[in-house]
Order: sequence, then structure tokens, then C-alpha cells
Amino acid sequence: MNGKQTRPRAATGPQGPLGRRQEHGRHDPPSPARRRRGDYRFFFTYLARELQCRRRQALLVAVGLAVGVGLVVTVTAASTGVSRAQGAVLHSLYGVGTDVTVTKAAAAWNLGSTGKTGSGSSQFGFTPGRTVKHEDLLEESAGLGVLPASSVAAIARLRGVAAVAGGMTLVDTKLTVPSLSQIGPNGQPPASALTPATFSVGGVDLSHLGIGPFASAQLDAGRSFRESDADANVAVVDSSYAAADKLTVGSTITIAHVAFKVVGVADQTQGGGADDVYIPLRRAQALASSPEAASSAGEVDTIYVVAGEGSDVSAIQREIANLLPSATVTTASSLAGEVSGSLASAASLINDLGRWLAGAVLVAAFAVASLLSAAAVARRVREIGTLKALGWRTGRIVAQLMGEYAAIGLVGAVLGIAAGFAGAALVDVLAPSLAAIVASNPGTAPAQNVTMGAGGVHRFIAQGAQHTIPVHLTAPVTLDTAVLAAVLALAGAIIAGSFGAWRAARLRPARALANLA
Amino acid sequence: MYALSGVTKTYRKGHHAVTALDNLHLTIAAGEWLAIQGRTGSGKTTLLQLLGALDHPSSGVINFDGRDLARLPEADLTDVRANFIGFVFQAFNLIPTLSAVENVEAALIPQRLSSAQRRGRATDALANVGLAERADHLPSEMSGGQQQRVGIARALVKEPKVLLADEPAGNLDIDTRDEIMSLLETLWRDRGLTLVVITHDTSIARRAERVATMRDGRLGIDSGATIEDADGN
Repeated sequence: MNGKQTRPRAATGPQGPLGRRQEHGRHDPPSPARRRRGDYRFFFTYLARELQCRRRQALLVAVGLAVGVGLVVTVTAASTGVSRAQGAVLHSLYGVGTDVTVTKAAAAWNLGSTGKTGSGSSQFGFTPGRTVKHEDLLEESAGLGVLPASSVAAIARLRGVAAVAGGMTLVDTKLTVPSLSQIGPNGQPPASALTPATFSVGGVDLSHLGIGPFASAQLDAGRSFRESDADANVAVVDSSYAAADKLTVGSTITIAHVAFKVVGVADQTQGGGADDVYIPLRRAQALASSPEAASSAGEVDTIYVVAGEGSDVSAIQREIANLLPSATVTTASSLAGEVSGSLASAASLINDLGRWLAGAVLVAAFAVASLLSAAAVARRVREIGTLKALGWRTGRIVAQLMGEYAAIGLVGAVLGIAAGFAGAALVDVLAPSLAAIVASNPGTAPAQNVTMGAGGVHRFIAQGAQHTIPVHLTAPVTLDTAVLAAVLALAGAIIAGSFGAWRAARLRPARALANLA
Repeated sequence: MYALSGVTKTYRKGHHAVTALDNLHLTIAAGEWLAIQGRTGSGKTTLLQLLGALDHPSSGVINFDGRDLARLPEADLTDVRANFIGFVFQAFNLIPTLSAVENVEAALIPQRLSSAQRRGRATDALANVGLAERADHLPSEMSGGQQQRVGIARALVKEPKVLLADEPAGNLDIDTRDEIMSLLETLWRDRGLTLVVITHDTSIARRAERVATMRDGRLGIDSGATIEDADGN
């Protein structure tokens, strides 16, 4: 067809093969739901085609996000493991669920030493008689002072306190007082009397078995205490001590000359809070004595407090300090600061270097993803300009681009969580055994050495009374961590996509198409 | 259809202002075929962008069916492009990851149709340009002429009032060029479109009802003139 064309008449009705008009619901507008479904279908088709076509770049961005997210998951899991290990150490010290412990510094006659850095001693004598005497003393701990049992009730009345239990840690000392005829010329007792046998005895508040060191004990054999045991001569024995002294359920153990029936054998975490033998608190108070008092009735040396809410702990700590000014009030967090050893080093490494490293990798992954996103949009200027020329709204174009990056983020999240699980599993397998070194702790008497010499019985608080607790570091990936990983990956992808979308939104269609001719 | 009055478009290029269109007056009747010729940089693509509601002029009035495109906000210009104007590009501008029929469907996204309606109309549009059997092919699997046919189907599937073509045969060999131009002519004639074609090719321009020539941002009268001079006379 050459030459000038003439203006056509107005087109009417169905037309020829090339010019025909066919109606597909032109006058039958679809329902909003069908329209939305239609939009979504094209959205996902376009999205899938773009990702498929640019799969290398998409995979690169997803892997970058996954590395960052995987590191965060691993570090968070390791951090959770360290926290749990620290928690286990603290629980082994003064029981699961205890938020605050109240103790009192030892009285002056115990030299006030904590046993942490030096040694202290007390000395008290026995008068030898004509015959050999076998003494069985149940004494208050040399390292702890006593508090009136009424303090327990007073603390229970404080706001925010959910439960309170008193406790008492005593030392049973069995020694042989030689007869006058056995005493040497310098007043030296015979060798057989030089090393008294001692074991620690914990008085357990039977109305609050879930609080205090005994709460951590796992029953191996027999039964635990019952409230009806309050005035009974029954004992639960630590499994290690039971093995060493060949004690079983049904055996009898003598404490302060009183026979106690072993009703249970319990396994305890190897912490500073573990006593050798547990007996009802009232029996412990009745049988305990000190050089100054024949009985410890109405006394406790530790008060274990459970807060109603974790946020109440600090307030409770302050109120108890006001109520009992001479007492030492310790919380789990303040005690955690006293934990040292390789566990503390690991915690420091993970919380400082690990988090910094994971954060840096994550930021780098976000930055690389953002740059790639911006570069991808730069390569798609013509495409975006064309879509704008076709009448696509900027919001629709931005949604399409963001959708692509959200999909990449999802892939990154899945890969990242998988990488995190793998990293956490590696930590489980490769992490060396750690040790938590815990200084003398509230509620537990420091280790003591008891000897007998010419001047009588000497009780020494052991040099460097610390507890070393072996810890196996695990890295549990919690649901929270997995959710965090997914959120981070998606956030990274959305940040990256936003860079591209921002560029696309600013792109003027005329500018995008200007160089196309 | 169009009445342009005193349209000027200037760009900033560094510290200098470049005048792409200079006080231009032009009337294009509904159903008219206008060819615009001119050297590179003469302003013809800028004129096409203004006619296509892709940009605002620096000054002047662009009356399109009673609406001044120079004053419409971007959202309204988007609606005008979505419903009334079809573009055919020299480089085809097909989305490389979408098949032929999906490329045509892309033009119907703003129309908010159901999936079936959209697919049906896109398939018909491809059939109208003789590419029904290539509907599922990617652009990379088609010749230049076939890609331009897809581009034409995409431009016409929404049944626009105006078809703006920027060097539609610029990337094609002579045989294919004639084939594409014959197709455009047929569609123009059968559908009563207003067709504006930018071309360097005089043989293409001769087919038009009217030919205008751009020179330094001004329109020169060529043939069949209802084109006014720079002073509006």
C-alpha cells in the first residue's frame, strides 16, 4: 500500500482477521475477588519468571543473607546455651526458681572470713575425762551467720514475693575425745583422734520443697520428703555421699547422736549448693548447736525468695535490704557476675565477639543485597519505563520488585535457619568442655577442715573455697531464634528491595524511554 | 483528538537549558495518521512523549479529548496511558522473561480484569497480528518482525484511541518493515485509530495522511497541513 491514506470511517462491529475485535467480558466486569485473583496470578507469574531468569543473582543475595542470618542464629543459639549453662550453675548453687537469697555475714568468732581468699579458724576445746568419749556435733556453719526464722514470715509479706523458704546448712562432726591417759606429755591427742569425720547437713523447709538447693536434686531411689516428715528423723542422702558411705534407702545415719532413717537417695548437680545429707529443717534446728548456744531453734542461715514476676526482683532486693539491714541480699544476676572460668570466657567471647561478628556479616549482607538490588533496577530501566508507559502505577511496579526481594528473603531465611541449625550442631559437637568456677555462694557454708590438736578442735575455712562445675556447652536453636532469623532475612531483603524500588519509583517514564529510539 | 498550543519543553543539561520543543502548536484530528520526521535531536521523541502523557511540558497546553495533559497529576496521566494510548517502540521493549501472550497481558494489568478475561483478550490480540501459534514463546525465541507484532498486539489489546509509534520499523529489514507498516495501516483503517508515527524513513512517512517535520524544536509544515506555524498562524 503506497501513497497517502485516507482517513478511515469509524470502525463498527466485528472486523476482519487482522482488525477484528473480540469481546472477552468487556461489558462484564469481574468481581473484585476475581480481579484480585487475576492480579495475584500475574504477579506471581512475573515474579517467578524474573527469579528464574536471574536465579544466579537471586541465589547470591539469598546466600549472602543466609550467611549473615545463619551466623546470628548460631551465635544466638550459643549464647542461649551459655545462658542456660550459667543458669544451671546458678541453680545448682541455690536451687531452681530461686530469685533472691538472704544470708548474714558470719559472727566474729568465726573470724568473718568468707574462705574465698584466706583462711579462718575457730577453736573450742573438750575436757578429756577418764574414758574415751565419742562426740557427734551438729554445728552451725562457720561461714554463715544466722537469721531469726521470723524474718522468713516478714519477707513473705513483702510486695511481689511469691514464696519464701528458710534453710540451714550445718556441719556434723564426729570426733573421738581421748581419755586423760591418752594425752601426750605436750597435751597432744593420739593420732586416731586427729581427723574428725565431717559431713554437711542441709535443713530443708518441707513446706517449700520447690525452693532452695534441694529443689535441684533428682531422686535416684526411695522417696522425697513429705510435709508430715517435719518432726521425723528421716534423711535424703546425696548419691555421691551415699556411694562413699555405702548408704542405701533404709540405712541409718547418725546425726548429733540421733539415728535418721535414709528414705531417699538424690542425685545433685555438682554445685556448691549440694549438701551431703538433707533432713527436715525443724529437726536440724533442734539438733544444731554452737559454742554459744545449745540449740538453733528459731534460726535459719539462708532465706530463699521467689519473686512473682522477674521484674520484681530488684524491688524485692531493695525491700529486703531495708527490712534486714545487716543481711546480705543476693540475686541470680549479681551472683552470675561471680561466675568465672572458661564458661565465663565463652560467654564473653560469644556475647562480645560473636555478636559483633554476626552483626557485621549481617550488615555486609544487607549492603551487598541492597547494591545488587539497585544495580538490578539500573539494568531494568527500560522494562520499568515500559511498564509505566503501559499504565502500570508506580505502586504496582514497586510491589512487583519488592515481591521479588521478599521471595529472595524467604529463601535466605530458610537457608539461614538451616545454616544456623548446622552451626549450632557444630557447636554442640566441637565445643570443648567448659568449667564454671564459682566463689563461695550464699546459702552454702564454705568448705571446712576440722582437725584436732593440742589446743582442741580447730575448724578451718578452706583456702580458696571455690567450686568448679564442669559444663557442656550446647547451642539450642529456639523458636524465637528461628523467628528472629526469618524476620532478619526478610528485613534484609526488604531493605535491599527498597533501594531498587526507590530508584524505580523515582524513575520518570519519559527519562526511562528517552534512549530507546 | 489533540490540540497543542504554545508547548515548550526545556531540559537542564548541566548548567545549560536545552529547548527540545519551542512554542509548538499542533492539532491532530481523531482517526488521523500523522507522520513526524526530523533529524536526531530535533525534538520528535519529546513531542511523542508529551502526546503519550509520559511527561509534562515546561509550558503550554496539551488538550487531549478535553483534558489538559500539561496540568494533570502523574496518577491521572497514568490512567490516560493505561486506557487511551498505545505505544509501539523501535526496540520492541518486550519483557524478556515473559512469553508473547504474557507480554500482551501486561498491558491489561491496569484494567483490573480477571485472569481469564485478560488471557482471552491477549490471545485474540496475538491472533489479530498473526501470532496465535507463538503465544507461549519468549521474545528471544522470535524474530524482530514477530517481536514487533507482539509489541503492536500489546499496544492495541486495550483498544486505545491513540497509537504512538516511535520508529516502529527502525530495527527491521525492508521486507519486515513493509509487513509491519502494512499491519499498522490495516489496524489504523479498521479500528479508526489516531496514529502518530515518528520515522526517519520517507517511504513510511509518505503513507501517512499528513507529514510534519521537526527542526530545532519547531514543527514545519509539510503536507496535508492542519499544522500551525510557531506563531500559531
